[in-house]
Amino acid sequence: MQPLANITPLKPAGAIEVRNVGQIFKTTTQDVVALEDVSLDVRPGRFVVLVGPSGCGKSTLLMMMAGLRQQTSGTITISGAPIPEPDPNRVGVVFQEASLFPWLTAEENVEFPLALRGVTKSDRRARAQDALKLVGLDGFGKRHPHELSGGMKQRVSIARGLVQDPPVLLMDEPFAALDEQTRMTMGDELLRIWAATGKTVVFVTHSLTEAVYLADEVIVMSPRPGRIVDHLQVPLPRPRTYEMLSGDAFGSLRDRIWRHIRKSA
Amino acid sequence: MSAATLRRLIVIGLIVLWEILPRAGFIPELFLPSLSSTLAAGWNEAGEYGHALAVTLYEVAISMAFACGGGILLGAIVGSLPRPRILIMPMVSSLYAVPLVILYPVFTVWLGIGSESKIAFASIYGFLPTMLATAAGIQTIDPQLLLAARSMGATLSQRLVRVIIPAAIPTVLSGLRVGGALVIVGVVVSEMLISSAGIGYLISRYRTILDSPHVFAGVLLVLAMAIAFNAAIKWIERKAAIWQTGTRAGQDSAGEVAPTALQPAT
Repeated sequence: MQPLANITPLKPAGAIEVRNVGQIFKTTTQDVVALEDVSLDVRPGRFVVLVGPSGCGKSTLLMMMAGLRQQTSGTITISGAPIPEPDPNRVGVVFQEASLFPWLTAEENVEFPLALRGVTKSDRRARAQDALKLVGLDGFGKRHPHELSGGMKQRVSIARGLVQDPPVLLMDEPFAALDEQTRMTMGDELLRIWAATGKTVVFVTHSLTEAVYLADEVIVMSPRPGRIVDHLQVPLPRPRTYEMLSGDAFGSLRDRIWRHIRKSA
Repeated sequence: MSAATLRRLIVIGLIVLWEILPRAGFIPELFLPSLSSTLAAGWNEAGEYGHALAVTLYEVAISMAFACGGGILLGAIVGSLPRPRILIMPMVSSLYAVPLVILYPVFTVWLGIGSESKIAFASIYGFLPTMLATAAGIQTIDPQLLLAARSMGATLSQRLVRVIIPAAIPTVLSGLRVGGALVIVGVVVSEMLISSAGIGYLISRYRTILDSPHVFAGVLLVLAMAIAFNAAIKWIERKAAIWQTGTRAGQDSAGEVAPTALQPAT
């Protein structure tokens, strides 16, 4: 799909570069500026979280990184090459719940992107097994989505995003529909998977606690027009623990994000 | 006692009452002949009923093919393309409220009183709900599923075959259930109105000579046909739809949707 870029990568695999990106939605009455002059760099292997109030364009930015939407201006490169259309070899995407195909079993869902490319059945099955094992769902492959809990469905989605071993994993509010306990568990699970695979993760959320708990870096966005208002490093050590949530370092980071969001809301 | 047992008991009770009430003289045989005399009447004219059933089944089969094939095809087009949808849907929806049976005399003028006019009428009659359900099934596919497929690099034709069609199946099936039932209604009703063959024709002919046992024998045959059709659809639904949530509408349409729920005025 990007043969030139594959031969001469300008950047190491997993790097994301966003340069002066703007996005304008044209409606019949007026043009809405969804994003204005957004620039950011994500180094390979980093866990970066985008937060901001509704309408700040964080999901739009993520969709553009996935090649699901094209920016009006500016450039986005993934591993050094632009992404004019979705490419699951370079970028895996995990959505909010309910993006699993309900008529397929868990393993068939995970195999789906491989089946689109004509990978043989046995090869597909083996790779789906590996991905399901990685997300802790060994032995659940034959179940249909309606037989799985919300957290398990999201694990299947993550396995599906990782099955082609892309260096980048983009996650659009993946845990938003889960209850709080499951959400905490899934956060820890995601960090474990991230540590095991070394992927670059860009994660969109509404939850400030989730943002600080998971991230190496938090990018705070504000709406009308969508732009970046702060870029924080999270110096908390890893592995992250539940006790850190009540610590001063954690609290002051969360307060700093909250002040930005309150100003713009 | 489970609901299924209770249901069976009710059916058995009705059958027993059907035999006892006319026999005991509570109901005149003219109004309701007993079950045994109905069966005997049917058995004595087995050849005539067999021929009528063959005619009716033939008309039902052809109409079913037109109604379901055309309904699914046009429903898919209308459901996936906004422009035809805006153009056609209001027309189809208002047509659905018209008692189409008023058109039947016109069909007999155009096509004669043979099978052709029944097939034309029943096809149109069953076509509308099938088309509306298919259009709705495709329109209500969760856009998240299509977005996810696209993020995995699915081409347009891959999305059609691997996402849109399987996701629409439950709603389409519920449309077929209603459309197929209406095809049977359409064929039998048109046979009763103006005709020279078929079960509906037999029923109406025996009615004019006040031969109740033979009328009810015909009614039993139509009943059996409807029950067989329903069983066939249920079997297909079990085969095809392990899931019921492929579309947002699918969650409601899966269960026991009474065929009459969507039925227009006859």
